[in-house]
Amino acid sequence: MMEREKLEGLYALALHLYPVRFQEAYAPAMRQSFRDALEDCGLARRTLIPLVVRDLITSLFKEHFAMLYDTFARPALVYNALVLIALSTGLALALNTIPQQVLRQGANDPQIAMAGDLAARLESGIAPAAAVPAAAVDMARSLSPFVIVYNDQGQPLASQAVLNGQTPTPPMGVFDYVRQHGEERVSWQPVPGTTSNKDEKSVLNGGMTLQRGHGVRIAAVIQRVNGSTPGFVLAGRNMREVEAREEQVGQLALLTWIGMMGVILVGTAAYGWWTRPKAA
Amino acid sequence: MAADTAPASPLSPAVFAILFSLAEGEKHGYQMMKDARSPEGGGVRLGPGTLYGSIDRMMRDGLVEESGKSDDERRRYYRLTRHGHSVLAVELQRLDAAVKSARRMGLIRAGGRA
Repeated sequence: MMEREKLEGLYALALHLYPVRFQEAYAPAMRQSFRDALEDCGLARRTLIPLVVRDLITSLFKEHFAMLYDTFARPALVYNALVLIALSTGLALALNTIPQQVLRQGANDPQIAMAGDLAARLESGIAPAAAVPAAAVDMARSLSPFVIVYNDQGQPLASQAVLNGQTPTPPMGVFDYVRQHGEERVSWQPVPGTTSNKDEKSVLNGGMTLQRGHGVRIAAVIQRVNGSTPGFVLAGRNMREVEAREEQVGQLALLTWIGMMGVILVGTAAYGWWTRPKAA
Repeated sequence: MAADTAPASPLSPAVFAILFSLAEGEKHGYQMMKDARSPEGGGVRLGPGTLYGSIDRMMRDGLVEESGKSDDERRRYYRLTRHGHSVLAVELQRLDAAVKSARRMGLIRAGGRA
């Protein structure tokens, strides 16, 4: 009798491990079934106890999983969460892409004016050497804008910019394009490195393999020079600062996305718990 | 209850044993456990957790319902619904067809075990 009461007490304690809804609905009946089994002389203890222990383990796992599923995997809840995730992801992508495009487009601003002015001066007959400012700009280090004049074959005639003691030349395809369309705006990479912005047009010399952080990237505007001595002018500026800002924007967008995912996760879990199916 | 809410056939041993036990009439938990354990009931060893977990889902599927009968405050009686009867009948027909096939193939003797 004592043993039976002890076993029943232990089983009653174990019933507290079930989810509350299940406990409220079935714990008394389960306890009664266990008591009936204990009183059944045809059922040996050595058969009953292992059976009940195995049953406890498997049904606890199953009922907790069912409770979690009923609480959090309801179609309306999952659908709402997926819609919110899609909206937040779209918003974060826009937060990343739009400012990056604005920054990149803005990086061309002084060069557009400089290239236009220089082309106009060259077309009016001023010699390239006289039209190009004398102060040299180190393309790798300086953030100052610079100009370079090329002849119709793409060879430099006068340059304000130097890179490793030389005047670099963009790929001939750029000149061909400008010859047809009058102007081109590109991210020019005279020294191999990485392209941090995949959307923009990048021009690499010789298609070299890129490695992050070792390149010189230039926001370049190339314009056609018409007139008696046709050629090209290139106005450029090192993109180091712009790219650093683009990276910051990307990091902020990523943090915003992670934050929004956290809010959606916590909000969905809280709403799911709050509106979970209750015991009848 | 609509048939499209019926659990997928074949039924799990626990669900089949509970339906089979309740086919005789309304019963409480331990009676169902005892019936299931007997060779005639399928020899399924059900503990209270599995039994009431299955009953919970079967009530949601409309297979069983509480009868309301009570000879003890904590003892709850259950019975088959009309839908539960038809699901059991479908399962028994499926098993019957399998047994008939097994007999034709000589896997089991008529009226006996293999």
